[in-house]
Amino acid sequence: MTTNADTAIVRLEDVRLAFGQTEVLKGIDLAINKGDAVSIIGPSGSGKSTLLRCINALVTPQSGRITVAGTRVDQLTRESERIALRKRVGIVFQQYNLFPHLTVLENIVLAPTRILGVARQEAEKLARELLEKVRLSDKANAFPGQLSGGQQQRVAIARALAMKPELVLFDEVTSALDPETVGEVLWVIRDLIRDGMTSILVTHEMRFAEEISDTVVFTENGRIVAQGSPREIFHGNDNARIRQFVGGLSGARGSVRDGEGI
Amino acid sequence: MQNGTLTELFVRWTGKLGLNYEFLATGYEAQIWRDGFVTTIYLVLLLIPVSLLFGVLFAACLTSGKPWLLAPVRAFVEITRNTPTLVQLMFSFLALNTFVSNLLGGAQHNPLTPFFWVVAVVGLHVAALHAEALRAGIEAVPASLVEAARGIGFSRLEILRYVEVPLAFRTSLPAIVNNLINLVKLTTVGNAIAVSEITYASIMVWTQRDNVVELMLVILAFFSLLNFIVARIGKWVERRLAVPGYGI
Ligand SMILES: Nc1ncnc2c1ncn2[C@@H]1O[C@H](COP(=O)(O)OP(=O)(O)O)[C@@H](O)[C@H]1O
Ligand SMILES: [Mg+2]
Repeated sequence: MTTNADTAIVRLEDVRLAFGQTEVLKGIDLAINKGDAVSIIGPSGSGKSTLLRCINALVTPQSGRITVAGTRVDQLTRESERIALRKRVGIVFQQYNLFPHLTVLENIVLAPTRILGVARQEAEKLARELLEKVRLSDKANAFPGQLSGGQQQRVAIARALAMKPELVLFDEVTSALDPETVGEVLWVIRDLIRDGMTSILVTHEMRFAEEISDTVVFTENGRIVAQGSPREIFHGNDNARIRQFVGGLSGARGSVRDGEGI
Repeated sequence: MQNGTLTELFVRWTGKLGLNYEFLATGYEAQIWRDGFVTTIYLVLLLIPVSLLFGVLFAACLTSGKPWLLAPVRAFVEITRNTPTLVQLMFSFLALNTFVSNLLGGAQHNPLTPFFWVVAVVGLHVAALHAEALRAGIEAVPASLVEAARGIGFSRLEILRYVEVPLAFRTSLPAIVNNLINLVKLTTVGNAIAVSEITYASIMVWTQRDNVVELMLVILAFFSLLNFIVARIGKWVERRLAVPGYGI
């Protein structure tokens, strides 16, 4: 991928982060263009989730530069500045994490009305549009506990989109799902990427990553050991380690999830 | 007068059963007694919101992770949980209140009444109990849910308000209702500092009339009724807040 400062919406330069004695990110350099879809693959514990959390300031690295949509994230000192950034960067997690006491519709309108100050009517209109987009219009008044995992995850995506983010981070959003419901979530993400949403996905769905990514990044032990087009990463010959990792995952579909282990 | 005849009927009828409610037909003692009921109800109606408000506030401090908020509230909760409310009330009224009076240059300038001290002491005592229940509920909110809320852009206080407290309130509702039932009973400590709630008013009456059993029967029925209502409202709120498909 060729990137210059003008088109990169996310840029990480020599980002280093440790939790106590454990070095988790050991010098990450990454640039992502607006409108691109980037998949991050790599073994468990290699720092993929931490990398995403750095991008929306949920964790702060010890050193390095992080620029997100014109904001120098590493230079933010106040929590209020980090909050302002998080409102612009959506993140969706493995465990959906919907607010269990609120209906689907309320889950989606809560943040826009309460923290962005959007009028209730307008927020509800957007929420219904988003529900249509994730194909859950009929579930607006259901509670999260009444939905399947795949449905909950689609609501979580709609909830993130309701903030009208400039980019969305997906952290293994299909890893907790029953195999039958993985597809419906991937459909939604595929649509989103086609609409031009800048997306960074940590995923173990190799075939999906290959299909939708502009760039694939392979991480291991806190470093990016390879990045390139899906063709280069999945079908190139120069990195035996990647082929071993991908081969280990794609043997059986079930092992895609088992492979992540704990 | 309709009311007068009803009272007289009651007095005569209970008299036949050997119960002495004659004071009800008098103006003065009947008035004291009626005011006792009103004062107790007034205390309960005031104390419930006061205890809940401070309970949430204390719980927020206890889960804030900030030592300067946590330490004083933790100390207060421990003291109030482990010492008799009656002693707290006497201490507050006899020591703190006197201190305030001296500060303001004499008791005549002190606006704090015994009624105020009952509300403050009982309210904060029950608030401490609420806070412990709510704290447990807040800590039971999954860390991943809190992180998701942070990821959306909620501030610490917004997470508390829109996520943690609503969830914690649901899990701790049975404990909170228990605390409120206790609160209703605790209003009787007011009689130690001459707040004329129902037990104080009753003592005034029975020292004149020698009808302890008669008044006790009514007092017991009265508190049972109050707490029956509190428990029913608690159940109603519980049903209202129940979340389909969610185990609390
Ligand atoms: N908050 C944290 N405190 C301490 N260690 C953490 C924390 N978050 C992650 N780690 C550690 O950092 C390493 C990388 O974690 P993570 O970024 O979640 O990896 P991945 O998403 O690739 O599996 C792991 O060894 C994990 O135990
Ligand atoms: Mg992870």
